[in-house]
Amino acid sequence: MLVYLIKRLMVSIVVLIGIALGTFLIIHLVPGDPAKIQLGVHATPATVAKLHHEWGLDRSWPEQFWLYLGNIVTFNFGNSTAFSSNVAELIGNRIGPTAILVAYGLLIALVIGVPLAIVAAVRQGGVVDNAIRVLTTFTFAMPPFWLGLMLALLLGFELKWFPVSGYETGISGILRTCTVPALTIGLGLLVIIVRNLRANLVTVLHGEYIEAARARGYSELRVVAKHAMRNSIIGVITILASIFGFMVGILVLIENVFQIPGAGTLLVQAVSKRDYQLVQTLVFLSGAVVVIVGFLTDVAYAWLDPRIRLAGRS
Amino acid sequence: MRKLLLIGAMGALLALLVSACGGSSSGGGTISVAKEGEGGAKAVNAACEEEPVAGGTLVYSRQLETVTLNPREIKNGNGDIFADEMLYNGIVRNDPNGPDKVVPGLAESWDVSKDGLTYTFHLRKGLKYSDGSPLSAEDVAWNLEQFADPEVNISLAGVAAGMESAKATDDTTVVVKLEHPVAAFLYNLAIFPAFIVDREKLEAEGPAFWKHPVGTGPFKLKEFAGGSHITFEKNPYYFEKGKPYLDSMRWNFVPNSNTRVLALKSGEAQMIDGVPFAQVESLQGDTNLAIQEVELPQEILLVTNTKVKALADVHVRHALSLAINRPQLNETVFRGTGTVPNSVIQNFELDASDQEVPPFEFNVEKAKAEMAKSKFADGFTVSLQYPAGFDYFKQMALLVQQEMGQIGVNVKLEELEAATIAEKWLEGEFELTFPFTGTTSDVPVPDEYASFYALPEAELDGFKSFWTNKEAEGLVQKFISSTDEGARQSEWKVIQELFNEEMPSLNVMDFPLINGHQSNVCGTKANGLGVDQMQETWIAGKSS
Repeated sequence: MLVYLIKRLMVSIVVLIGIALGTFLIIHLVPGDPAKIQLGVHATPATVAKLHHEWGLDRSWPEQFWLYLGNIVTFNFGNSTAFSSNVAELIGNRIGPTAILVAYGLLIALVIGVPLAIVAAVRQGGVVDNAIRVLTTFTFAMPPFWLGLMLALLLGFELKWFPVSGYETGISGILRTCTVPALTIGLGLLVIIVRNLRANLVTVLHGEYIEAARARGYSELRVVAKHAMRNSIIGVITILASIFGFMVGILVLIENVFQIPGAGTLLVQAVSKRDYQLVQTLVFLSGAVVVIVGFLTDVAYAWLDPRIRLAGRS
Repeated sequence: MRKLLLIGAMGALLALLVSACGGSSSGGGTISVAKEGEGGAKAVNAACEEEPVAGGTLVYSRQLETVTLNPREIKNGNGDIFADEMLYNGIVRNDPNGPDKVVPGLAESWDVSKDGLTYTFHLRKGLKYSDGSPLSAEDVAWNLEQFADPEVNISLAGVAAGMESAKATDDTTVVVKLEHPVAAFLYNLAIFPAFIVDREKLEAEGPAFWKHPVGTGPFKLKEFAGGSHITFEKNPYYFEKGKPYLDSMRWNFVPNSNTRVLALKSGEAQMIDGVPFAQVESLQGDTNLAIQEVELPQEILLVTNTKVKALADVHVRHALSLAINRPQLNETVFRGTGTVPNSVIQNFELDASDQEVPPFEFNVEKAKAEMAKSKFADGFTVSLQYPAGFDYFKQMALLVQQEMGQIGVNVKLEELEAATIAEKWLEGEFELTFPFTGTTSDVPVPDEYASFYALPEAELDGFKSFWTNKEAEGLVQKFISSTDEGARQSEWKVIQELFNEEMPSLNVMDFPLINGHQSNVCGTKANGLGVDQMQETWIAGKSS
């Protein structure tokens, strides 16, 4: 197990360095100079050179990358050029609303998705099953910014249940301001939960141990909820954990539509201003979350299933 | 696991690319201040005709986020500049009522020496910062020295060019000396880099000062939540007695235009800026709302790179301009809010009237005749870069492509992200380009842009058209140093006509800022640069 853990850890570190290098290269290769963007039409060669020096952009790329790696290791992410602020402080202020949105969105997706998947699996092939599959595909296919606007229009503007945009803290503030954006995220994720969970349930419900449970006279509710769900939900949670990277893209749009001061909008601003330090840190941190989640998942699998950890020894 | 990593990495990259394609509404990073507000909409509420009522809170949803409150290091164009205008003042101001003149600010009067080299400012008595501490003439002189220091005034060092020194000679007098006459000097002093901040606190606190700065503006800072909102409170020590009328104000940063409109319609915001052209008509139909067109020196600029052989031919440039159907463009894209220009650079109060200098004509036959006179009578192919993420630019680019096709010019369209397009413009890597979503002047007089086009010392290569003209250089040099206002008016007409004749680039359309507000919000004025004059704004008791 230890050998496996060390191997996986090494792979994770290599991947993290790869993410750091990839982000560094992409943001540096995209046309657009942060100093020229800030100075606009007043970007004389002298003022541009001054800002480049101030921001360390007059150093060579390898030197800049080395400094960036050093910053990551020491958790000192430097200063943002576009916001005149410390990167760690900036991200720290913005990560809360994003984390709440992700968690709330997932919760809504599970609360709506799990019952729908169960109904669809139990009524496999029927009208209800097909209706659920069409509905979830529909909410998935709609662009999040459009779906968000429609929900804001309906639940905020027409029904006045929620504000159309904005963000407030505290439990009641979060419930007031994050419900509609979280619902938008939740509806987008619904198809992933419903389709996967339904497919797993359909397979499991045909299993011999389910037949055995039914034969014992357990109610169908108990058979599904207690016996079938336990074996079906794990796969769905694994998939949800793995789509975090994709969610970053959705969050960017949702935060923009609902005026949520989160890390997604910060990333957009950082890219449009070519704030190298901020872009690198944000993308690296998102990548790191995916890597860590993946690492923990692998470790959990290896712990559960000896075939995985022993595979390399044969 | 590899799949997970791949998906994760792809997601992160997707976010990077999505945001890179999103475009920026800040005009590709221009430091953009607007000009010449006419005070705006007719009040639809009869209550606005009454005496202003003090009190109340106003929520204003704004397109651009405020990023920094340091007026000498602007980071996000009007997002920063408009907030600075709430917190600080200059010693002089652009007239809050709109016309292009400079009116007293912290100085109640001033004298200018005959040679135009010495300005003596007489400060108002008993001036105080928003925390109640006194403001001295030394503070003002120190701030003006900061304005003149390019190491400090990073945003706009050019507007301080020519300033030699600033000294306090007594408690209420500040003398500013210039190295050479600068015609626009008072206008330059009226904008954000010359704003007065609390010197003592800034020196004591260093950069931390900008998180809770103290100035002399109509409002003081209450809370600044980056990425979300900024709130202001009335400054009880503001020098205009009785103003501002509002007790407090909250600006929400709402980059999404649909969300802003929805906030206005739902009543969650009393004011919004950046109303999309396409929504002007529908909002005008709502009796609870008012739409305000704020005039300012702002244009849709189509830069022609004269390093490209065909575009170096003045007949070709004229042909391109004649081929653009501006009235149609105004109707279809700008929903009638634009103005067909009569000047290559933005519209200024100093401009000759349409009767004296006619607006740019649309005439395909004349355009073809100009092409025939050029060395490219058989036509040519040229690329046109335009910013991604703005529907109206796509429409404009397609219309221009179609219209230029009629005179034998094959236009290839290139859609680029806003920061990329601005960079390519600055580096001269384009043939035809719309480099900014709106090209605006920092001052309400043409001095800045005339210099950008004509003077080599501006280091902007004819505003990147790479056009040079010795006659224009001489005329502009004289114009920007002239201290005789009457002479400047006639000099400007000659320059305006010469620019139109040479057409270093094309002014496609002059267009306003479009704001919206609830009909019970009164006194929604903007100055000559389009900057909201919130000290004049008040809320009427009830909507009519």
